[in-house]
Amino acid sequence: MILDIKERLGKTKYDIDKSYAHITVDDRICEKCPHHFCVMACPAQCYTMQDGKLNFQYEDCVECGTCSIACDQGSVKWNFPKAGKGVIYKYG
Amino acid sequence: MSDYDAIVVGAGNAGSAAAITMASKGLSVLLVDRSDPPGTKNLSGGVLWGNDLAKILPKWQSEAPLERFIQDKKIGFLTEKSSIIIDFKTKVFEENKVGHTVLRSKFDPWLAKKAKEAGATVIPGITVESLVKKDGKIIGVEESGDAVTSNVVILAEGINPRLAIEAGLRPPLQDWEVSVGVKEIIKLSPQKIEDRFNLSSTSGLASEYILGNLGELNAGAFFYTNKDSISLGIVAPMERLRENGVTHTYDIIEQFKEHPSIAPLIDGGTVAEYGAHMIPEGGLEMVPQLFGDGYMIVGDSAGFGFSNGLVLQGMNYAFLSGIFAGEAAVEAKSRNDFSSSSLSTYKRKLDNSYVLKDLRTFKDLRKVTNNKSMYTTYPKMLESILLEMLWERGQPKKKVREILGSCAADLNVGKLKTATDFYYMYRRM
Repeated sequence: MILDIKERLGKTKYDIDKSYAHITVDDRICEKCPHHFCVMACPAQCYTMQDGKLNFQYEDCVECGTCSIACDQGSVKWNFPKAGKGVIYKYG
Repeated sequence: MSDYDAIVVGAGNAGSAAAITMASKGLSVLLVDRSDPPGTKNLSGGVLWGNDLAKILPKWQSEAPLERFIQDKKIGFLTEKSSIIIDFKTKVFEENKVGHTVLRSKFDPWLAKKAKEAGATVIPGITVESLVKKDGKIIGVEESGDAVTSNVVILAEGINPRLAIEAGLRPPLQDWEVSVGVKEIIKLSPQKIEDRFNLSSTSGLASEYILGNLGELNAGAFFYTNKDSISLGIVAPMERLRENGVTHTYDIIEQFKEHPSIAPLIDGGTVAEYGAHMIPEGGLEMVPQLFGDGYMIVGDSAGFGFSNGLVLQGMNYAFLSGIFAGEAAVEAKSRNDFSSSSLSTYKRKLDNSYVLKDLRTFKDLRKVTNNKSMYTTYPKMLESILLEMLWERGQPKKKVREILGSCAADLNVGKLKTATDFYYMYRRM
């Protein structure tokens, strides 16, 4: 019953906008970030640390907005996806 | 001349309620939502109290896609090994059937359809990019370079109000204003649900827990039955998550599912969906300026939520604030005046209703829900007291006063601190 986060995200439906990332991060700011709290806060594991460097991907984003508050360094730029793209809940 | 009397951004409960209120009084209304069908990006814990919905849709109980009416309400504490629950089952709930579990991807499209039936133009799959301003007044919305104008814009964007923030109508949200909610849908057959929870084919269970097994995260959890699934999830304050700094939000929900009193309840079920949503927790202090020249802010965007660790509500406030904003727009139309002073009737209606009355009454509630002892010491203390009283292990029995004294000593709790905590709980809750 206990599932890895990737497996759980696999249950959720998306229509990914391959041409537009609705969230962007500024690598230069992330490099100097003292906490990388986004890695803990994001419920969809969009933020991970790889070899001491922050890695971000928007494809699994469930559009909760948590990272826009978690990031207090001014790196995260948050917009809504366009034209209904992104997460599509079947239950909600 | 504006394209519409009113544009509503967001077809959740607040936005659709506003659109229905205005369209049914003959206003020309455009309701836009960024998902298609509307509501399919929405997610909530899932208990809807429909008193306010009945004001605009009296037949909601028979028409809306509801899951189960709440017959059984449980509240309590979990510790590492124990659960301490109050199980409140009442005929009163059954006779009134006002509380229901819902799934927003089914409920919200129905509500938006009602807005359409009332005469509103509903356009899903549109992401409004910015508000259009002229002479300091909001006069419409813009998408892909196209502006659509209206006399009033009602902002029902939800808890992540990008437009309001971008337009400077409210400051960016801060840690203390929100909790992170993480939710899973667990598929379970109706037969299993009804047998396991002692329910009929239409009745349901709603449980809310204080998680005393997660240290100072001050996290809570919910567990609701739908027709053929369970909605369960956790709620953790952003402030405590940041302070903790080492716990992933997506792991907390699995810890809840693994608890010895929760695991058997979902045994045999399969995860059908995973999602997350923020929850307004800042109370009165997070409520922004609610109206201005050409705009009003409703629902989650306005910070209208109630949470004391054991009760989580927001959809009811969404309906009522949407209805009031709709009424204020109808009155403004009759005066042909959509200025700030004309739209101030929206705030006056809220002032006189339970929405702002609740937020005022409980303005100091965060001092209680922020108290780490509520999530650490006191659940453990309750557990120790119950073990002393209810577990026979060949030891001499103690009086309650002695039990309390030894528990407090074991947990290293000062009498003054405990007395102060309970005094403030008594004053603020």
